[in-house]
Amino acid sequence: MLKVPWVCSQCLARFATGFVKTHPRPILQRRRLNTSVDLSPSLLSRARFLAAEHLKLSAHLEDSFNGRTAKRVGELALIASALKEWDKTNESIVELNTLLNDADTDSELRSLAIEDLETSQDLLPTIAENLKQALVPRHPFATLPCLLEIRPGAGGDEAGLFAHELLRMYIAFCSRRGFRSNIMKLEVGDGSAEDRLSEAVVEIETDGTYDILRTESGVHRVQRVPATETKGRTHTSAVSVMVLPSFPETGSGMDDALNFDDPNSDYYIDPQEVRSEKMRAGGAGGQHVNKTESAIRLTHIPTGIVVSMQDSRSQHANRKKAWQILRARLAEARQDAREQELVRLRRGAMGGVARMGRGDKVRTYNYGQSRCTDHRSGITIHNLNDILDGGDSLDAIMESVRSWLIDQEIAALAAEELVKDRKINTPPAKK
Amino acid sequence: MPRITNRAILKAHRQHPLLPLLLRECRSHISAKNELRWLRDRALSMVSARENGRSPDAPLGWRSLLRSMCHSRSRGVPLQYILGDQPFGDLEILCERGVLVPRAETESITLRAAGLILDAIRKQGHSQGRMGQRTRNLRIVDLCTGTGCIALLMHALLAPHINRLSILGIDLSPMALELANKNLAHNVRLGSLSKRALKEVYFEQGNVLARGLGGAGILQESQTSIPNAAGYCDVLISNPPYISPRAFRDGTTSRSVRIFEPKLALVPTIASSGISINLDRQEDIFYYHIISLSFEASAKLVVLECGDRLQAERVRNISRTLAHRYGSGALSIDIWACSSDPFAHGGISLNDEPCAVVLRRTDIDTE
Repeated sequence: MLKVPWVCSQCLARFATGFVKTHPRPILQRRRLNTSVDLSPSLLSRARFLAAEHLKLSAHLEDSFNGRTAKRVGELALIASALKEWDKTNESIVELNTLLNDADTDSELRSLAIEDLETSQDLLPTIAENLKQALVPRHPFATLPCLLEIRPGAGGDEAGLFAHELLRMYIAFCSRRGFRSNIMKLEVGDGSAEDRLSEAVVEIETDGTYDILRTESGVHRVQRVPATETKGRTHTSAVSVMVLPSFPETGSGMDDALNFDDPNSDYYIDPQEVRSEKMRAGGAGGQHVNKTESAIRLTHIPTGIVVSMQDSRSQHANRKKAWQILRARLAEARQDAREQELVRLRRGAMGGVARMGRGDKVRTYNYGQSRCTDHRSGITIHNLNDILDGGDSLDAIMESVRSWLIDQEIAALAAEELVKDRKINTPPAKK
Repeated sequence: MPRITNRAILKAHRQHPLLPLLLRECRSHISAKNELRWLRDRALSMVSARENGRSPDAPLGWRSLLRSMCHSRSRGVPLQYILGDQPFGDLEILCERGVLVPRAETESITLRAAGLILDAIRKQGHSQGRMGQRTRNLRIVDLCTGTGCIALLMHALLAPHINRLSILGIDLSPMALELANKNLAHNVRLGSLSKRALKEVYFEQGNVLARGLGGAGILQESQTSIPNAAGYCDVLISNPPYISPRAFRDGTTSRSVRIFEPKLALVPTIASSGISINLDRQEDIFYYHIISLSFEASAKLVVLECGDRLQAERVRNISRTLAHRYGSGALSIDIWACSSDPFAHGGISLNDEPCAVVLRRTDIDTE
């Protein structure tokens, strides 16, 4: 114990940190930390429901094999095992408690029980967390590689310059994490500056990168004194980043849902609905001329989505890439529409479920304060250089957003279950 | 050709001092910008490759290299001759002076023809029950092969689905044959062609016109080197010279093509044909010969690139006449517009766009 009782606690804390602080770390601030052990009863009931389904389906699977059922069982297995663990731990806690409350238990057993109880209780939050995560349905594109689209928004030249910096950031991030990436499309704006982006698409070929990078979709805001500013004023500009699923070539044994060639698939595009134009001057072709114009423009007529591609010298390659981007955009749009629909339903039922759309500002990069704040998870990191170099700090931000996304999903799930319960318990009101 | 406005030149110059040079040949800002990017990328990679090789004779930095490239481009040298290659399908076709540069239209025709062959095989496979049954050799002949692009792309597209192929490319020019063989080796080395291609693709010298209409000698002669050849082929595909002497002179053919690409590959000459036939148009000579050849070799599929819609119509008439003369049975003749996207339905097909005439023998059993 301290000999001097009147040292102010703050001074003491400062004194202590002097010793503890060994290496500087980026300062992390979190507005909201989620460490609750509690698992809402509605979530638990959902887990039980799904586990029951798992039991039934696996019994069914023993009789007759069916690919679709097997896949569903595989998905549910995680929930079932997590729930089993949760139940087991809870049971043992109850048991130990009764043992402790029992007056007959001898002291040796009692000390063992206390020890056991402590470990079990320590374990409980992680198990609850596991269960929660297992309950969150996997994103349908989670296993896919992705396309990353960067486009400057409001802010003119400055937005273009920052878009280029974001492009560099993501490429550096990919190379640090060992993802193969290549630039599919790079368009710079008119003018002498080389690094003013007007659009870029990066293909990240590693499987599962969609899930890793999907935290990045949204509007990224930059606050700084631009290079083009003469009076030293801080400007705010925006760059929009989109992460799209990249569908593999056909015939690679993908499962049915993601096979875009199958007319029954959700991601099928009817070729009749796509207008393809060669952007080429008229006049004779073939042997008569040797045009190097290889640009292709595809227009999806029902949605009006336009993809133009001119990076490669080969028309064939441009067309292939344009189709890949068109497919990705449409798939994302369709998935988005589905999510919107879900949100609408939820909101209609209980109101006030937040969802971050593509048009929302997700992150701010402030050069003056050398900080980066993500508006979803509320994390702030004061090490902008490391983030723009695609370093560990970017990982930290993305990780925080990912857990935020999971929290959101869980909250939505819980709310949904609640609504279901209410519907069952209260008979429909009569007018 | 309309004059480039001063404003356009100024705008280009503001972006890059070399851009106005490219504008002379490209005529449009976007196209010039793209070419500049390609040239710059190439200059950078060439210089870095040279630095890695540490060869002493490397006097040029990439900037001066780029400048000299842009200057030759402004004189009208085809971009492909400057860069030395052109993507064709998934292949990289080397290009050299004296051999025609592969065109985008030829690429799309080849892709479509390969799709047609694969469809036919798939159908056949279904009717026979099993796909793996097919062991028969599919023989393809590419006349006037030039860089060998059609023959090589055909192999790249068909090899994964067909166990045995033999593809023969024929050209008159020894320079073209040398380049075609170089392209074969180059693409095998790059890995875009399988090793099988070395055994299954041949290039031989031959004159499509010299044999006259008398016989399929050209095929028979060159096939002596191929075992089990009987002078027959399944698919005949060609992009023969099809520009009329008039269109070559009157401005339809661009200056760059006229000056820098071989006339042999562009304009058919009567002199080389040996015999005189009653053809009203000199530019159609090759089709006459190739179509007769196809009947003699009983090819099941013939794909011929033509300069424009009118020529395609004429070729259709030629094939009808010849089919009658050879007494061949049912023949279906289609005209493909090159502008159409193999994936999507095409835009507007223009009359002066190249087309392909496709002859399919429906009387012969496809097996």
